[in-house]
Amino acid sequence: MREVHWKLLQYITGIGIFFLVGYHLIFSHFQSDEVTEWSSVSSRAASAGWFTFYVLILIFGIYHVLHGIRGIILEFSLPQSAVKALDWAIVLIGVAVFGYAVYIPINGFIS
Amino acid sequence: MEKITFKVQRYDPDHDKKPRIQQFVIPFKHGMTVLDGLIYIKENVDNTLSFRSSCRMGICGSCGMLINNLPMLACHTPIEELKKDTITVKSLPNFPIVRDLVPDLSSLFAKHKSVKPYIIAPDMAEIEKPTAEFLQAQGQLEEFVQFAYCVKCGLCMAACPTVATDRHFLGPQPLAQAYRYSADRRDGGAKERFKHTDTHHGIWLCHLAGACSEACPKGVDPALAMQLLKRAIISDSLRLRKKPVPPSVAQPLAEKKPRVAVPEFTIKKPGAKS
Repeated sequence: MREVHWKLLQYITGIGIFFLVGYHLIFSHFQSDEVTEWSSVSSRAASAGWFTFYVLILIFGIYHVLHGIRGIILEFSLPQSAVKALDWAIVLIGVAVFGYAVYIPINGFIS
Repeated sequence: MEKITFKVQRYDPDHDKKPRIQQFVIPFKHGMTVLDGLIYIKENVDNTLSFRSSCRMGICGSCGMLINNLPMLACHTPIEELKKDTITVKSLPNFPIVRDLVPDLSSLFAKHKSVKPYIIAPDMAEIEKPTAEFLQAQGQLEEFVQFAYCVKCGLCMAACPTVATDRHFLGPQPLAQAYRYSADRRDGGAKERFKHTDTHHGIWLCHLAGACSEACPKGVDPALAMQLLKRAIISDSLRLRKKPVPPSVAQPLAEKKPRVAVPEFTIKKPGAKS
C-alpha cells in the first residue's frame, strides 16, 4: 500500500471518529441515565447494532491514534531499519489493544 | 536616523568553533537596503565579510538571509521598513554555513532536482525537434503560473518548521515545483513525481504552518501548491484524476522562419575538456 492510502485512512477514520464519538456522547452520556461502567457496555453490545458500533469506534480510534503517533515519530529522521521496526511495533500494539478492548463487546454479544 | 547598527553573524569554519556576532555602525542613507549596508561594510569597513548577491533587484534569489529573525532577500528589504536602529543579519537557518552569511544550498538543489523539475513530455520527438508551438489556454497556464515564479532563493526552506526538524523532508520549494510541473498540460511525468513525493518524508509531512508562503519574496504560495499536490495524489490513488490529454500543437506557419543556427563555440566537441 502506498503512503497516500494510509493517509487517506487517517482522514476517513478522523471523520468517522467525529460522528461515532458524537453519537456515543449524545446517546450514552447526555440522553442516558445508565451508569458509566463496563457492564452497561456489555449489556448494550448484546444488540448487533451496538456491537458493530463499538467495534467500529475501536478500529477507527486505534488506527487514528497509532498512525498519528507513527507520523510524529517519523519526523525524527529515523533510519530505514528503525522505520520498519516502528511499523511492526505499531501493528503489534494496535492488535494487542484491539484484542484487549474488544473483549467486553464480544462477551456481551455472545452471552 | 543618521547611523545604523548592523549586527552581522561571522563564521569561518577554519578558525571558529561556532558563529559569532560582529557589530558595525555605518552611515544611513534614505532608500538604503540591507544589501546596500552589507556592501558598504565590505567596501569600507571589513573586506573579509562574505555574503552572496548578484542582481540587487529581487530576481536572482542569491541574497537570502535571516534579517531580524525573518528570512528575507537583503536586496529586497529597505532598512526603513524594518523600523529599527539595529539590524541583525544571520545566515539562513536549516542550511549549513559555508562562511559568514553564505549558506550551503546544495541540499535544496539536490531535493529540487529529485522531483524532476522539467517537462517530461509524452511525445519526446516533438520536444526534441519541435514542428510548432504547444497550445495552452490562459486558464491552463493560470493553474500553475504563480508557482513558476520561484527563484530558488531557499527562504521557504529556511522558514519551514518541518525542514528544521526533519532533514529528509523534501520541503516547500521542491514540493511546490513538483506540483508546478505536474499541473502543466504539456507534462506527462506526474506519476513519477507522485511516486517520489508520496513517501513518509514527502508531501504528508507538510503540516500547513504556512511559514513558506509568508517568507516567499516573489509572492509564490508553496503551502497552496502542497495542498493541491496532496489533492492530486489522493485523486490519482483513487483513479479519479483526469487522464492528461496530450497538448495540441499549433498549425505550422505558412511561411516558416529558418531556425537560428547554434553558435559554433557553444557546441561541445567530442573529447574536448569541459
